[in-house]
Amino acid sequence: MTLHRRTLLGGIGISALAVPVARAQSAAFRFGLAMPLTGGQATYGQDQVKAAQWAIEDINNAGGINGKPLAAIVLDTQADAQTGIQAATRLASVEKVPAFVTAWSEVVKAVAPIANDSKVVELSVGANSADIAKLGDYVYTTFPLAAVDITAVARYAATTMDKQRAAVLYINNETGTVAAQIYRDVFTKAGGKVVAYEAYDPKATDWTGTLLKVRMALPDIIHIQGLVADTPQVIAQMRQLGISQPISSYSAIYNPKLIQQLGPAANNVIATSLAPGVDNSPAVKAYVERWTKEVGREPNGLPYTQYLYDAPYLVAAVFKSLDDKKIPITGENFRKEMLAIRTFDLPLTGKLTFADDHTVSKRVYLMRVTDGAWTQLAVVD
Amino acid sequence: MFSLPILAQIMWTSLATSTCSVLFALAFALVLKVNRVFNFAQAAMMTVGFYAAFTVVGLANGPAWLGFAAAIVASVAMAILLEIFGFRVLRRRRASSMFVFIFALVVSELVAYLVMLVFGTWPATIFPSLFWPVTLVGPVAVSQWDVPALAATIVAVAAVFGFLRYSRAGQFMIAVADNPDLAEFYGIAKDRIHLITMIVAGLLTGLAMFLYGSRAQVQPMASIELLLFAIAATIIGGIGNLGGTVLTAVVLGIVQNASVLFIPSEWQGFLLYIFLFLAIVFFPKGIRLPERRLTRTAPAPSLIADEPEGA
Repeated sequence: MTLHRRTLLGGIGISALAVPVARAQSAAFRFGLAMPLTGGQATYGQDQVKAAQWAIEDINNAGGINGKPLAAIVLDTQADAQTGIQAATRLASVEKVPAFVTAWSEVVKAVAPIANDSKVVELSVGANSADIAKLGDYVYTTFPLAAVDITAVARYAATTMDKQRAAVLYINNETGTVAAQIYRDVFTKAGGKVVAYEAYDPKATDWTGTLLKVRMALPDIIHIQGLVADTPQVIAQMRQLGISQPISSYSAIYNPKLIQQLGPAANNVIATSLAPGVDNSPAVKAYVERWTKEVGREPNGLPYTQYLYDAPYLVAAVFKSLDDKKIPITGENFRKEMLAIRTFDLPLTGKLTFADDHTVSKRVYLMRVTDGAWTQLAVVD
Repeated sequence: MFSLPILAQIMWTSLATSTCSVLFALAFALVLKVNRVFNFAQAAMMTVGFYAAFTVVGLANGPAWLGFAAAIVASVAMAILLEIFGFRVLRRRRASSMFVFIFALVVSELVAYLVMLVFGTWPATIFPSLFWPVTLVGPVAVSQWDVPALAATIVAVAAVFGFLRYSRAGQFMIAVADNPDLAEFYGIAKDRIHLITMIVAGLLTGLAMFLYGSRAQVQPMASIELLLFAIAATIIGGIGNLGGTVLTAVVLGIVQNASVLFIPSEWQGFLLYIFLFLAIVFFPKGIRLPERRLTRTAPAPSLIADEPEGA
């Protein structure tokens, strides 16, 4: 019953949130942007859409694509597969865009058949499930999949940090289980031993039993593969139970709020970032300053918003190339041209090259909380 | 694996964290017992209670006591609104219990969406920090949240049972729970008793959400999930049996936490539903302990039959 009602609300949301401006601009190059604007993940989704819209503004202010504007049809997915399917169907069948950007593994997978059947390019920007590499001819990711940063953090723990015994604690959903397996395999292959491997329920609010099991295993390092809502609570409870070992996780917890929530308990927490930070790139520094100036805060999930900011630049580059060659704008042509270009130089995340398996590889920035601030621990290529 | 310190830690932390569940379950069970309503809209009371405290403390940097007061006031206000403009109206229209249940469900989702529009979906806590300092008592880590939460819960539960047993209004609540028509025949104003019941539920909910939100992150939809545990405790504990509900909430919390020592931890959440399934199939009236209640007997509202309430 809940699903149906949410689906209905999602459908209403889709109708309301479609950007009619794009249709009025018949000369514009249009692409789809299907992201969560409502629901549990909207905090991230809204900031990511804002980043993409800023990029479109910047592209258009710089003259657009051969003098024509770039426009996005923005639809709500609620990070929900069912609502995502409605959004993708509308983009492919009604709006007839040649490409659309979406995120969240569940949605990316659910809409892949629509992209393949309609021959519309689906660009996954932010989802990291390993399965995304195998979703079909028209599905590509501009965001490194889980294997990239989890491999980096596991190998770094076993080799550079010289940790011999790791505990892996993961949320029992697809994101958690796949990434946990990658960590276990890489850590073991690098010579370490996984002494505890524990899942927890996504609805859990107390982790005492599981954490005590981890404590009994006497690990040197603990890797947590959770979500932004539960990971800080797990870490807080871990520290309260006297578990003081270094903790590693992934990009979801790379956020200033974690430090605010945990105080001194956040020290020695390691996270990953798949995009350069303010210390690595003047463009990123200017981008963060823009957020502070215009919105009054840093974006939620900074690296993800960087990828969303860059996505319209990638789309615009393909449109420009097609327009230069006077090739009709269709999904098939968009895909062919994107693969012909293959390497894109993007403003906030740097160079991107599509591999044959539809994925990309990026540098991994390991960030650690030291004295109440995120500091760069290492850069792993 | 079964060392005493481990078991002692699990028992203590589970007991402490079950405090919120106990209060949620007691509020839910009380409304079900007296008003005969599956008050799924309790999630709305929980949501507004939390976000009122969050506004006062988390956003406006107000003192904790003011945040607590805000949680109580908001939850009680929501309870009063629900009763006067929702349940009372439906009762007068002789709406079926299924219709009332659907209304409550819609209210809980509506409030969650409204709160989402106002506060966004980022998980929030009443206090900026989730971390509570810990003192070691022997081998057991006791956080500074644990003892006040336990004390507040014990006082609240005792107050509710005392209210039901010794106050005039409490005795009327039991009478209405026993037989609403007979109670009315004897001059008890049913509407007033229903309102008082909702107010008591609002007080419990406000307290519980303040406790919960001071140690865990809350999203607008979180209350709906939290309520499922309360519903499970109410059903397993025996519908209409407040003591059983309280006891079940504590035991379920401990069993869930301790279970990871015996079963894979991914089965931990599943366990609740196994208990719930077994209780509904084999003990539809709940698992009854030997009779020695703090309150007088009241017939349990049926889970199955759609009992229209008499005038």
